[in-house]
Amino acid sequence: MNELVATPRGWVESFGEIVRFTSKVVGEVLRLRVLRFFGEALRQAGILIVSSTLVIWGLVFIIGLQCGIEGAYFDQANGVPAYAGVFAAWCDLRELVPYAFGYMMAAKVGTGLVAELGSMRISDEIDALEVMGISGIRFLCATRLLASWMVLPFVYLASIGAGFFASYLAVVQQIGDVSSGGFFLIFWEFQNPPDLLYSLIKAMAMATVIVLVGCYYGYNASGGPVGVGTATAKSMVLNIVAVHLIGMLGTQIFWGANPRAPIGG
Amino acid sequence: MSFDQPGSGEERPTSGAQRWVPGGHDEPAPFAHAEQPGQGSQGEPREMGAAGSPDREADKEGLLESAYDVRERRPPVPEGHDASEHETAAGSDVDPTHALPAQGNAQSAGERSEARGSRVSVVDEQPPRPEPPDGASADEYQFHTYKVYPSGRPDTVEFIDVYKAFGRARILRGLNMGLPEGMVSMILGPSGTGKSVCIKHMVGLLYPDRGDVLVHGESVPNMADEQLFEMRKKFGLLFQDGALFGSMNLFDNVAFPLRQHTEKGEDEIEDIVMRRLNEVGLGDAREKMPNELSGGMRKRAGFARALVLEPDIVLFDEPDSGLDPVRTALLGELILEIHRDMMDDAKAKGKEHLPTFAVITHDIMSARRVADYINVLWRGRIVEAGPAEDMLNSENPFIRQFLAGESQGPLSMD
Repeated sequence: MNELVATPRGWVESFGEIVRFTSKVVGEVLRLRVLRFFGEALRQAGILIVSSTLVIWGLVFIIGLQCGIEGAYFDQANGVPAYAGVFAAWCDLRELVPYAFGYMMAAKVGTGLVAELGSMRISDEIDALEVMGISGIRFLCATRLLASWMVLPFVYLASIGAGFFASYLAVVQQIGDVSSGGFFLIFWEFQNPPDLLYSLIKAMAMATVIVLVGCYYGYNASGGPVGVGTATAKSMVLNIVAVHLIGMLGTQIFWGANPRAPIGG
Repeated sequence: MSFDQPGSGEERPTSGAQRWVPGGHDEPAPFAHAEQPGQGSQGEPREMGAAGSPDREADKEGLLESAYDVRERRPPVPEGHDASEHETAAGSDVDPTHALPAQGNAQSAGERSEARGSRVSVVDEQPPRPEPPDGASADEYQFHTYKVYPSGRPDTVEFIDVYKAFGRARILRGLNMGLPEGMVSMILGPSGTGKSVCIKHMVGLLYPDRGDVLVHGESVPNMADEQLFEMRKKFGLLFQDGALFGSMNLFDNVAFPLRQHTEKGEDEIEDIVMRRLNEVGLGDAREKMPNELSGGMRKRAGFARALVLEPDIVLFDEPDSGLDPVRTALLGELILEIHRDMMDDAKAKGKEHLPTFAVITHDIMSARRVADYINVLWRGRIVEAGPAEDMLNSENPFIRQFLAGESQGPLSMD
């Protein structure tokens, strides 16, 4: 019986640990204590821009192409080729761009954080920082969270642009069953400005969770290089689950009751 | 009896606070050990924690005799109370040479009494804890005599009955230890006895399960986060592998504490950093990244970084691991040299606390060369502690074996 209970209890415990850790990090940012290390936050923001932006945009661009191509051929087969813009407006904005962004964040930024902070932990760098009288959580984690909040909204908005642009290229330039004007007529008809905001909220929720999970597993890594590897793998699993949960819940909350296509009828 | 000094042959009662009182005698019990044979001429050792409440009683009743050491006779002083009054009252009839530490001869009596008067060791007030910890047999602790030869200085860092376990591994098991101010202390011990854990307790990276750790008289485990970060600025810590930040070059690594904690301009920072780097012989490597450096260079760089804020307490976690014997010797010399410089500096500036160095090692040679004061740690407790020459002359078979580095003796592979 004890063994049966032990595993779920372990999950609950580690979930509680994560919540406690993340609330500390978020608290450091919201109470603006992190501003003491604003320079470090800017440096992290720079690293994020230089190292991760192009990868994210590239992935979203390819997904936008695929979405456009499949949508265009499906509509062509059903005799409504002019409606290919619906796919771009819904599929890109609501689901695929957030997911692609979330996956890429988890794979590139999340694991990078775990590996970096984890190596710092096992080589005593975090302890060295603490001994110098500098809070590791503030200097390492809160600055990274702040950096991602400063940078990622713009990265994400630009990646939506990349997705839309790719869909437009595929539908209008490559397949060409619909004119540019016809595409945009439908494209804009099927989305409102709030949709962009909802999509942004979804993506930022994903990004925040990914950065926090990455910080948690990296900051608390132990057990040498193997431990860092294990922590990286664990963080990836948790992040992918979290990305899907946020994607699903976000869609239900923001668009579930949308009268154009109410989910569940 | 597990804690008896071998060869003393003296049977002591073991239970409760009365255990020190020999039957049929009215005199205060803690003094009994002063009559033990075989202590040589180094000054009478103090039983760790022996000067508990009976001592206090004795003081009140004016029963003090001059047969024991200054440190022992110093009555416990309530917080905020000036100890020097007691010092002059009680210490006037004591032969000053009696209590001198190994290197204390060079100091004037005024300095010593000033150092002592500033604060009082709390370890003195601990009740005796000679029983082996839970789950251990008396045999395992038979060589723990808990003797502390007097250093004549107040303790900068004190461990009071500290217990720490990681899961089922019990590391510190009732540790009482002090690091005297203004000295280079060694914490010596076989591998896996909790030496690094000790250091982490001093700077509040780990908290004891039980007991207390005091730094300059303040309890580390009871500090709030902000207070703790402030307190840590007193420390410079050299980690085993230097723990340099991999993302910064050598110069930025050493400049990091200055940039974070001071308002100094870049020119001044460059002056200080280059002076420290030159001191450890790395002036030419300032642009190198940590992964381009050898292990010894990383250690020296870590040393430079630990010193830039001019800390009161510098801790070295196995500075000799992974170094060849010559480099180890050179590093030892460097430690001594910098300690001398910092002592001069502290005296010139009239600092409140003299620089205290603590070196963790299991390398006997560097201990013999560098140490002023030696704590020998085994099985989570101090076996004996005292100024280096007292320790090197110790009668304790464990200490003798360990300091001689022999395979024959109480310490075996298990």
